[in-house]
Amino acid sequence: MSDWPVVKGDYQVGNGKSRICVVTLASHFELASEYMKKVALIGPCHTENLGIEKIMANVVSNPNIRFILVCGEESRGHMSGNTLRAIHANGIDGNGRIIGSEGAIPFIENISEAVVKRFQAQVQLIDRTGETDKGKILQIIEEYHNKGNVFSEPPMVVQAGKKKRKRERLEINGTGDVVISKDVSLDTSSGIIA
Amino acid sequence: MFRFQTEQKIVNIAGVKIGGQPGELATVLAGTIFYPNHKIVEDESKGLFNKKKAEILINKQSSCADETGNPSMVHIFGSSEVGIKKYIDFVSEITEAPFLIDSTEARVRMEGVKHATEVGLADRAINNSINMGITDDEIEALTHSDVDASIVMGFNAMDSSLEGRIALLENGASVTEKGLLQIAEDCGISKILIDPSITPMGNGAGIALRMTLVAKAKWGFPAGSGIHNAPSSWNWLKNKKKENDLIFKACDVGSIGLQQMAAGDFILYGPIENAPYVFPMAAMTDIMIAEAVADFDVIPGEDHPINKLV
Repeated sequence: MSDWPVVKGDYQVGNGKSRICVVTLASHFELASEYMKKVALIGPCHTENLGIEKIMANVVSNPNIRFILVCGEESRGHMSGNTLRAIHANGIDGNGRIIGSEGAIPFIENISEAVVKRFQAQVQLIDRTGETDKGKILQIIEEYHNKGNVFSEPPMVVQAGKKKRKRERLEINGTGDVVISKDVSLDTSSGIIA
Repeated sequence: MFRFQTEQKIVNIAGVKIGGQPGELATVLAGTIFYPNHKIVEDESKGLFNKKKAEILINKQSSCADETGNPSMVHIFGSSEVGIKKYIDFVSEITEAPFLIDSTEARVRMEGVKHATEVGLADRAINNSINMGITDDEIEALTHSDVDASIVMGFNAMDSSLEGRIALLENGASVTEKGLLQIAEDCGISKILIDPSITPMGNGAGIALRMTLVAKAKWGFPAGSGIHNAPSSWNWLKNKKKENDLIFKACDVGSIGLQQMAAGDFILYGPIENAPYVFPMAAMTDIMIAEAVADFDVIPGEDHPINKLV
């Protein structure tokens, strides 16, 4: 698991062999080192699109994780906690919209339906949205960090958005010599963008 | 530097002009106040805050604007319906600058737009924003308001490429029934400001710079962004900040110049406390751009930084 987590983010990495990761939504918690050994990841999730994608990519790439504790204050407007529950329960439609989410823009771009199904099968959500009592959060970590078995399937490789981005040669229609997009270019001799 | 062949629109919001060819107008700068965890906010649900400190911050931004020639706007962030109304009332008493009505929650933005209309401040208000998550209620609220200025956001959560962002504005990209530009016009928005959307670095932050150029080339609308969100959400930089806050500040403030060099007309620069650092940075870049396009027949206005500071 040396190359895990596969997607970087605003979270602390603990023990990749733990069964639990902790999503603190709009809240931030610092854990003592003894508890960092009992969580795979802990950190916030502010957004109902990119934030959810990162959680899913890091979970399905580590079969040790079987539980996600969802706690902390809900992210207002974005409703990332609600959205995490929605994608776990309902999945996505053909347009990438997370079914049943109340978030403002609940779409995913870099996660396939296969990843969603794997996520649903691999982990169980422990929903404590709104819980900010660190003592209670630590109790749950204590209870679940070594509970159950490793997921039966191997890690699922999910490429981060930046790696997945297409690299296509642009067909240039503009008249300039500096390409900005397929139909916009800059003529450096005149300085005109057209 | 460069100029656009497409005619560049200039919008006038409460006397502040935004847009035009590079070097024509000074970059308009908006500092955010009452943002999440802003120390001057005492109770966001009730809209309670330290008025003295808020007044000092707004006045400081205004002073920076007067000194450099970069016009200012106040980016009001609210998280409750009660709060946004109090914030609008307060800001409009302290300054005559335009203000942006922003919240992560549509109901708060709608209340802000409605309130601005009811108290006669609609001509100073900018809705932030029309985006791919716009609801029917929000469309109705905007349509029935007197607010005629809005940011139109190019964030496409299904396709973050340049083409995906442009398509969202142009035809809805299969997400909305119409393109966001058409939706804006249907809502009575005649002063459109395009924000290409700054996603985190690694998720296409840089594309926003290219989209600024393309949006101005295609439509001629004023364009700009909250580019500081790229360094602010950069995890590596957050760790460097623990070593030395100046490292973070250099990237945070320096990012403004990137958006200006990509033809940005306005910038939401983040916490209003940063005004003393941001305005000189923006003024310097504006001067360099104005000098670079001097032989393009672009004549900067009297208050442009090039005419005030050098």
